[in-house]
Amino acid sequence: MDALISYLVNVISLGGTYALLALGLAVVFSVLGLINFAHGELMTLTGYILLAGILTGQPFWVAVLIAVLACGLAAVLMEFAAFRPVRNASGATLLMTSFAVSMLLQVLFQNGISARGQAIPVPPWLTTSISIGNSQISKVQVMSITIGILALIALKIFFDRSYWGWAIRAAADDFEVVGLMGIKASRLISFAFLLSGLLAGIAGVLWVVQRGSVDPLMGFKPVLAAFIVAVIGGLGSLTGAVAGGFILSAIEIALQTWLPDGVMAYRDAITYTVVVIILSFFPNGIFGKRDQEKV
Amino acid sequence: MSDTLLTATGLAVSYGAVKAVRGSDLEVKEGEVVALLGPNGAGKSSTLRAIVGLIKSQGKVTFAGEDLTGAPTERIVSMGISMVPEGRRLFPQLTVRENLLLGAPRKAKIDALFDELLEKLPILRERLNQQAGTLSGGEQQQVALARALMSKPRLLLIDEPSLGLAPTIVDAVYQILADLRKTGLAMVIVEQEVTRVLKFADRAYAMTTGEIALQGRAEELLASNEIKKVYLGGA
Repeated sequence: MDALISYLVNVISLGGTYALLALGLAVVFSVLGLINFAHGELMTLTGYILLAGILTGQPFWVAVLIAVLACGLAAVLMEFAAFRPVRNASGATLLMTSFAVSMLLQVLFQNGISARGQAIPVPPWLTTSISIGNSQISKVQVMSITIGILALIALKIFFDRSYWGWAIRAAADDFEVVGLMGIKASRLISFAFLLSGLLAGIAGVLWVVQRGSVDPLMGFKPVLAAFIVAVIGGLGSLTGAVAGGFILSAIEIALQTWLPDGVMAYRDAITYTVVVIILSFFPNGIFGKRDQEKV
Repeated sequence: MSDTLLTATGLAVSYGAVKAVRGSDLEVKEGEVVALLGPNGAGKSSTLRAIVGLIKSQGKVTFAGEDLTGAPTERIVSMGISMVPEGRRLFPQLTVRENLLLGAPRKAKIDALFDELLEKLPILRERLNQQAGTLSGGEQQQVALARALMSKPRLLLIDEPSLGLAPTIVDAVYQILADLRKTGLAMVIVEQEVTRVLKFADRAYAMTTGEIALQGRAEELLASNEIKKVYLGGA
């Protein structure tokens, strides 16, 4: 029972972070048809801004808020500076641009800050645990789960109730026709990057607080996981991004928990084999686009 | 009916080396219903898409005296041109209500218009919270029409309103269009059902291989053999 509680806590905690990251990728993919691999560097940037906020004496939650908002702004600037000039280029060009932005930011972090990891001094109250039965759950995980779930609920309300939420969901269905609704394409794209950046910011805070440090190459692994999550869920599907986040997390944590030590080295290989098996049953992802037209 | 609403002069559209529209001239007057006819690949849909700015084109387009040449789609829509694209192209994951509200300008006060449309198309009231992709073809066409009307257009471009619909449903769709015509809304209708649309329209243009081969009063074209020649390639 305790093992199960511990497993579920870990799945929800990591799955929420994956879901937020994958949603950030999916939102941009909806409007631009681009998987933005520089999304990971937005997370890294959040980590450094959070660190700077804490080191300059800001209260923890103020530092978190500044880091998340700055990440949203950075995403808008990234779109304006890097992606807007090549917006009408091929998908391959957009993809290469995202890799270029990613590498440029990594080098800037390495040369401008440090190639080494920097510890994130989290407040002492976050380093303690709470007990559920015989299981100990760290407050960092409690915070991750709470923020992750609240962010997902807020997003659900945003997508269901707001004009811009409908516009982004509509863009995932048919971007061209969104223009026929009188919506300015560049405004929708900027808005999608803002939302994507805020999601990267929230996920970035959860990521660096859980691992306790930030380094220039930190964003690669989570963005790769988020890409896989988005593919499992169905590229561009917002529901799929959330479902995929929890599916990948459930697989990873299960293997981490119950895989014998002798084969632990194959954990990632086994994870991705399971992903390939899922995709062989759902080639477009679990919530991928199917023919919806009914005549 | 004498005021010119839309003029397209020398309208040309190319897809790479393929010239889909080769310098067409079109005119639509206030409150007029114009049919745009022609066999598959004649350039009808490309003409509509060029007018509303969905594809790049050459030539000049003016609407209500303003030059819309090269304007982005959102400006063209805000000027008063709306379009029902071929195949309806609703947002299938969104509900009927969300589809309709997206059709209206963001800050517009639309309660009265929304109620008016639901009055005209009562079936939509029953389907408001249903995902648009789950509706029947006829219902989808009604949603597509209503969505296009949410921006209060002065000119409605409709691409293949009868495509894939049963004859009785097509009758119902044309009844809705007839009601809209009474409100003074100008329309350009691209249609494969030639006889039906010529009985409905005031004037018609017939295109072949990207050029306007024939134009005139709809009833005159209906009575003549010229329109058949367009479809058989003899015009």
